[in-house]
Amino acid sequence: MAVTSPPSSPSASPGALAGTPRSRRPKQSFETWSWFFMRVSGLVLLFLALAHFAITHIVNDVVDTDAGFVFRRWDNPLWRLFDWTLLALALLHGLNGLRWSIDDYIRSRPTRAAVKAVLYSVSGVLFAYGTFTIVTFQ
Amino acid sequence: MAGTAQRPVETKVGITKVVYKGKSGQWAFVGHRVSGVLVFFFLLLHIVDVSLINSDPVLYDEVHELYGNILLRIFEVGLLFALLFHSLNGLRIVLVDFFPGMVRNERRLFTGVLAITIVVGVPCTWVILEPFISGRIF
Repeated sequence: MAVTSPPSSPSASPGALAGTPRSRRPKQSFETWSWFFMRVSGLVLLFLALAHFAITHIVNDVVDTDAGFVFRRWDNPLWRLFDWTLLALALLHGLNGLRWSIDDYIRSRPTRAAVKAVLYSVSGVLFAYGTFTIVTFQ
Repeated sequence: MAGTAQRPVETKVGITKVVYKGKSGQWAFVGHRVSGVLVFFFLLLHIVDVSLINSDPVLYDEVHELYGNILLRIFEVGLLFALLFHSLNGLRIVLVDFFPGMVRNERRLFTGVLAITIVVGVPCTWVILEPFISGRIF
């Protein structure tokens, strides 16, 4: 190495890899992006999910959110977009969280594969079903 | 998050039981997983109940009225606390991940998460349960 970087400080900082040649930095795998996705989607969901809960349970009472309420709300395509974004992000965020938990706690490979297969299938079907509801409702 | 908690060590003899006696960070980890799983399974249920509106709006209204029941109102309070804790603790994780210096305030951050969860959660609990307490809904 032509440039010697100063010994790294014990506490990691955001610029910790700045002096490291690109070839020696850790490769960004699927799990790197999975980690990043959880942070970004989590921040977005913080607003979407709490706003959704506030609208349907705090501002309005839950019994008032009947079919007429949904009808008036989904008259505006922006609310459909809001609800669909919430559906997609929450499902993916939850699915990835469950994937991590399954990897942590289910040690037998066949069981792990079976549990994941069920989880992914059920989530996939419900994602399609929910999307269908939001798009086709009139 | 994966790999944060200490796992049982596999030896030739078998799996040795290791009980990790962590501090606030361990409880944050456990709470985050439990609340995440609860919210995820509610989401699956919620996709199904909302989607009824497309095939049968009358059935949607009937199923929806159940949410006004006191037992399900208590369930909604549980959902509220799971959502609040998971959101705020997630924000704490994002802070610690992107600003590594924050690790020094780990304990204070977690206390803050619990404090805001309670300060926001308790008045909202009142709003959700009030229709039952005042006798408007059984």
